[in-house]
Amino acid sequence: MVDTIYSVVYALVVYALNLLGPIVPIAPSLGPGLAVWLSYLVVGAIIFAFSLVNVLVFIWWERKLLGRFMDRRGAMHVGYAGLLQNLADGLKLFRKQPFAPKDADELGYYFGPTAYLVMSVMILGLIPLSFGVSGGVVPLSLLVALALFSFAPLFIFIASWSSNNKYSLIGGMRTAAQLVAYEIPLLLAVVGVVALTGSFDLNVIVGDQARYGWFGLPLFLGLLLFFVAMLAEVERIPFDLPEAEAELVEGWSTEFGGMLFAFTMMGDYVRALIGSYLIVLLFLGGWSMPWGLSNFPLSGLVFFQVKTYVVFAIFIWVRASLPRVRTDQLLQIGWKRMLPLAMLNIVWALALVVWGWPTIHWPVL
Amino acid sequence: MSEMWINMGPQHPMTHGLWNLRIKVDGELIVDADPEIGYLHRGIEKICEYRRYNEVITLMDRTCYVAGIAWEQLYIMAAEGALGITPPARAEYIRVLSQELQRLSSHIIWYAAYVQDIGLMTPFLYGMRDRDLVLDLFQSYTGARMTYEYMRVGGVRNDVPVGFTDRCRKVMDWLDGKLVEYEKVCDNSTIFLDRTIGVGILKAKEAIQDGITGPVLRAANVARDIRRDRPYSAYPEIDFDVAIHDGADCYGRYRVRMEEMKQSVRIVRQVLDWLDRNPGPVLAEKVPRFVGTPSPPPGKEIYVERRGYPKGRGFSSMEEPHGEAMAYIINEGAEHPYRAKLRSPVFVNIAAAKDYLIGYRISDIPAIMGSVDVCLGEADR
Repeated sequence: MVDTIYSVVYALVVYALNLLGPIVPIAPSLGPGLAVWLSYLVVGAIIFAFSLVNVLVFIWWERKLLGRFMDRRGAMHVGYAGLLQNLADGLKLFRKQPFAPKDADELGYYFGPTAYLVMSVMILGLIPLSFGVSGGVVPLSLLVALALFSFAPLFIFIASWSSNNKYSLIGGMRTAAQLVAYEIPLLLAVVGVVALTGSFDLNVIVGDQARYGWFGLPLFLGLLLFFVAMLAEVERIPFDLPEAEAELVEGWSTEFGGMLFAFTMMGDYVRALIGSYLIVLLFLGGWSMPWGLSNFPLSGLVFFQVKTYVVFAIFIWVRASLPRVRTDQLLQIGWKRMLPLAMLNIVWALALVVWGWPTIHWPVL
Repeated sequence: MSEMWINMGPQHPMTHGLWNLRIKVDGELIVDADPEIGYLHRGIEKICEYRRYNEVITLMDRTCYVAGIAWEQLYIMAAEGALGITPPARAEYIRVLSQELQRLSSHIIWYAAYVQDIGLMTPFLYGMRDRDLVLDLFQSYTGARMTYEYMRVGGVRNDVPVGFTDRCRKVMDWLDGKLVEYEKVCDNSTIFLDRTIGVGILKAKEAIQDGITGPVLRAANVARDIRRDRPYSAYPEIDFDVAIHDGADCYGRYRVRMEEMKQSVRIVRQVLDWLDRNPGPVLAEKVPRFVGTPSPPPGKEIYVERRGYPKGRGFSSMEEPHGEAMAYIINEGAEHPYRAKLRSPVFVNIAAAKDYLIGYRISDIPAIMGSVDVCLGEADR
């Protein structure tokens, strides 16, 4: 299962090397190793490009849907129905000169948003886009992904503190408080899924759902909790306090301009993409579809993306219809409501296991 | 975290204008507040002294950019008092119509900005969409959407066009439904209620001490409305209720404004019926020449500059969308006002920021300041 995308790419790389062989002489001893390394690179590039295109389309999707919710049309002019608008925006930001405010700590100022984006993109390498289509294949891929996911507040805090702005600082503080508070219900909601499958491997989790039904049904509470916590983790309305533009201008990213701003923005959307991916993978069956719909070649890839966009549409829907909560209310929701419910969800999941949920990987029961 | 001062402004999303709210925060808690205004000061009162009576109208449009026609009428009423002119009845009714349309557009833009401050973006665009209809009405009879320059000393510039009343009724019918929708969007949202109820409390006693007027005062359960208490124009003949609420908080102010919009629609309907029944002139016949002459023809300045017209003083007060506005004009017999003084409700409402901000959180500032409805054009003048 590991090798679907790698085997394809490896074959292509070997073919290309053979074509190149007569032109560029390669030492025979280097040959096989080189092909392996090149295929790693190619797979990485494919996944990176795929994700970035997805991020661009995500922003477009949000713009269009928000527009429709708000009785307007969204971006219309660049490309078909504004599809290339984000590319134009990105190019505009790319052309800007990067600079740091006078009293900012330059190292942290440049490092913060860059690391925020890099760390977010790293997670994409762990997420299987379809059966066997993933950059890195780790048995604990879910755990590693969530661990990387929870690195963000650190970098946000570095970025906000080093930009030497009071709004940034308050935004950074809020981010830290918020992300730490919602990390816990998020992880506890995952525990239910892990209890049912007995595995941290996303491939296994999706495989189980393909066989025994999506976890969103038995663990509906977990799905809700995960969704709400994910809303907070990706800092979207109603939990977008870290960048509450009404009071904090732009929150922790107030001082960033040009490409650094693009990094923060892209980081946000990459995280939203990952959040949607995780919701689909953990609760909505990943790339599997009932009635054998996902048995056709490449159909899993398509279904996975479709589900992701539907989930993100719900994110957008929430954004279009809810106001922003206040800091203290946010923390109250997190600690007083989400946490007990997450506990309840774990108890329910364990009860399901005890009552005989058809798990095959659980080693103890 | 130790205490620190934060400058929210002069350019800040919360301000809705150009002013600076300095707050001292302890963590997220506000322990002190110090509003600073004056960034938009254009010396309108002083410029009035150098302009002929009808030329001042242009300035009044710029006094408040969301309620231009209200300030026009405020000035015109004071000027008419100073010059001793009485406008015809139809002009008074058209003025009331303009006032209420302006109140609608001002309150709708307030609603739009307010929900956006709280983070609700969708109704913002709904509000802007519906406000456009009201602006279209304005455009149809004043020719402008923002700076109307429509009122004249002694009446209004022109009558409403043919078919205006039906068109206006249509817009009012549309707004009837939309106002209900606005309320539903907010009242059915638990988060909105959490953000507004019990936030930014300003009790009646404090509000009266601070001189606060308008919806902020009425939300503190004080039924004070100049339209009813000291009626002007055609308001004595019009039937409407004064909206009050006993919350004294942001939610109360929101409720008061929503109710006022409904009352405005009611008033507009009455005025439209009256306008349909009573045709007539809209400009007084005997207006002193210098008032009606924006600029003297070349070589004829001497006739315009002559002295000896009746002297007088004019005072007017009216219920502007933001509160009670007042104007005082001294006429020393020249063609310019000798002195003009305007009293802006927003100026007073901002000045009392300390009373309703301290003890709340940074996140509450947009909710509170938004509920006060700030328009810096008229505060700085």
